[in-house]
Amino acid sequence: MHLILFIIFAGFCLAGAINLLLQTHPINSALSLIVVMSSLAVLYLLLGAEFLAIAQIIVYAGAVMVLFTFVVMLLNVGEEEKTHGSKAAKIIGFPAIVAAFSVLTTVILAIQNKLGGVKLSDGVTPMTELSTVLFRDMLLPFELTSVLILVAILGAVALARKEGHR
Amino acid sequence: MIPASWYLILSAVLFSLGVIGFLIKRSLITVFMSIELMLNAVNLSFVTFAHQWHSVKGQIFVFFVMMVAAAEAAVGLAIIIAIFRARATLNVDQVDLMKL
Amino acid sequence: MNTFAVNYGNLFSITIPETILEVVSLLVLVVDLGFLRKSTQPARMTAACVLGVIGSVLAGLWLLTHSGTASFAGDALVLNSLVAAAQIGILLLTALVLLLSFQAEFSRNPGEYVAIVLLATTGMMLVAAARDLLVIFVALELLSLSLYVLAAFAKSSALSSEAALKYYLFGGMSAALMLFGFSYLYGLTGTTNLNGIAVSLASQGLSPLVVVAMVLVAAGLGFKVAAVPFHLWAPDTYQGAPAPVAALIASGSKVASFAVLVAVTGSLIPAASASRGATWIVLLVWMAGASILLGNLAALAQTSVRRLLAYSAIAHAGYMLLGIAANTPQSGAAVFYYALTYALTTVGAFGVIAVVERNMGSDRFDAFAGLSRRNPLLAASMLIFLLSLAGIPPLVGFWAKFNLFAAVLRAPGVGAWGLGMVIFALAASAVSLYYYLQVLKRVYVVPAMTDEPMAVSALEQLVLLVIALLVALLGIFPSALSGWIPLG
Repeated sequence: MHLILFIIFAGFCLAGAINLLLQTHPINSALSLIVVMSSLAVLYLLLGAEFLAIAQIIVYAGAVMVLFTFVVMLLNVGEEEKTHGSKAAKIIGFPAIVAAFSVLTTVILAIQNKLGGVKLSDGVTPMTELSTVLFRDMLLPFELTSVLILVAILGAVALARKEGHR
Repeated sequence: MIPASWYLILSAVLFSLGVIGFLIKRSLITVFMSIELMLNAVNLSFVTFAHQWHSVKGQIFVFFVMMVAAAEAAVGLAIIIAIFRARATLNVDQVDLMKL
Repeated sequence: MNTFAVNYGNLFSITIPETILEVVSLLVLVVDLGFLRKSTQPARMTAACVLGVIGSVLAGLWLLTHSGTASFAGDALVLNSLVAAAQIGILLLTALVLLLSFQAEFSRNPGEYVAIVLLATTGMMLVAAARDLLVIFVALELLSLSLYVLAAFAKSSALSSEAALKYYLFGGMSAALMLFGFSYLYGLTGTTNLNGIAVSLASQGLSPLVVVAMVLVAAGLGFKVAAVPFHLWAPDTYQGAPAPVAALIASGSKVASFAVLVAVTGSLIPAASASRGATWIVLLVWMAGASILLGNLAALAQTSVRRLLAYSAIAHAGYMLLGIAANTPQSGAAVFYYALTYALTTVGAFGVIAVVERNMGSDRFDAFAGLSRRNPLLAASMLIFLLSLAGIPPLVGFWAKFNLFAAVLRAPGVGAWGLGMVIFALAASAVSLYYYLQVLKRVYVVPAMTDEPMAVSALEQLVLLVIALLVALLGIFPSALSGWIPLG
């Protein structure tokens, strides 16, 4: 059961991510990213993080991606133009990424036994435990995030506002 | 039972795809989406480790990454709007007044 | 050391300077958007900047009078004399940047501008004090997001939004890399606390995953300090961002990033394991060498003073990375000293650039021609700043380099690479003198196109003279800061 769920949703993740790269219209890329994010939410559930699964749907798929699609439509962005881009990025970039990825995979497979496995019966992190840590031990980062969001609000309004007339 | 390493490898694949998108996509909005994809890959790896350590610290970290990513997306899209007003293009290669 | 458990009372008492800044930034918004909407643009800018300067001075005074060591939330936030020195330095730099912003005409939203500068400053102060991956991440993001926004603030200039875009793209990418590294560090140790990570790593030997995590973290932090190969954003951002913002990016943000790099290095190089320490040191030394080489060589080819300062900033980051790689308390202190004095000098240089740009509309070498005849005081300040950056005695830049390289050579276990890299860095500093002199040649030798005096406000003139005086006095009395920064 676990294996089937993992394979299905990991497959959705990969398909969505690859489709994001292949599509030329930003709106299609945005929709594929939503597929990736929603399937990740299911994987979080398999890992016992039910709160994060819901937050993933609400924050990422709900808020962030709506913002993206909104901007795509606001600016009426069309198909991606085929400019050749930076040659150096492709010549050095691709082998570098493939090399980095294979190193990473070997490293992870090498410590596979130490990492152990994931069972569906492992149980779900209780919300009470999560919220206790979040609102008690993590007070400083929590308050800091509120300042960060204030900056984002101020910045987004100041940058996106039309200048000229008041 | 599924080895935890499978989740980590999936996260590594998603991260690499994000980096590739960052390099090859020519539309600014899609480049931003690639960054979001990388952050999602990071989150998956945090959740897996949190599960293996039976500690909620990793899940809390993911929660903060989500909040920061949302704020970052808002700022990034505001910058995109500013660019579009000044330049009327969203092609990475045409935002090149200064030589790199 | 006082340890504080987590609750709102303790959080407030340990972050009073940051709280002061936040309250003042909200006050700036209320005053600017509530009472001054109908006023003229310069009046609003003046009011906002005055409030901002008052706020940072108050926060600085609080820090000056309440020194001591403290630790909050199990070492998530640590206060000691070095951190206090960095925080006071950051507040001083912010105040100077705001003082130099009075004449700035780039923004029609002065309230938002000053408020975001102050919030960025709280981010820098917390970055300097943070000793937990989560706090480091959130504080760094607070700092970065504010700077992205500020870089785009000159909306009438196409360069400004392009500068912000490049800063944002590379910043977002490197933040993701750093987070990926953080996730592996967490996976290996089960904790996000730097002390806990150090203890746990010391007990488990060098696994390949640790090396991967280190490379990723080095990429993220290397971006913040603009070290090669993560420097690509620096020249464009320095050139396109509004002058006061570029000054802030080049000064306060650098001080905070080097502070966190020192802290992270301390936890990734535990004394017990030389081999793992070596990996991190090798990474830092390679980044340092590449930065020194590329920064100095590329600076030779520049004709824009801002881009020249950007490449020289990359080279200076290389020198400081050497000090971090040496990893002794003395070299850490020397890095703080270098970062603070370098930041002070850079703010001064950007102040002069801002004046020249306002008069000439460009920061090319030609715009500086004959500055000594058009405004001798301004030219003298520029002379002091650039010679200090080049490391000419008796200015403070000389002592910063001297202390840094001496600390690297004295560090145990640096061996051959220490000596070799210091000789290389000294040779590179000699090269750097050439391009600084190229600017000074325009200022003092090349005749001006016009003889009309360079218009500069009394305040700017005064602030720049004070910075120049500080740079000179700190050079003549090099032990003036030893109360905070024990160079040993």
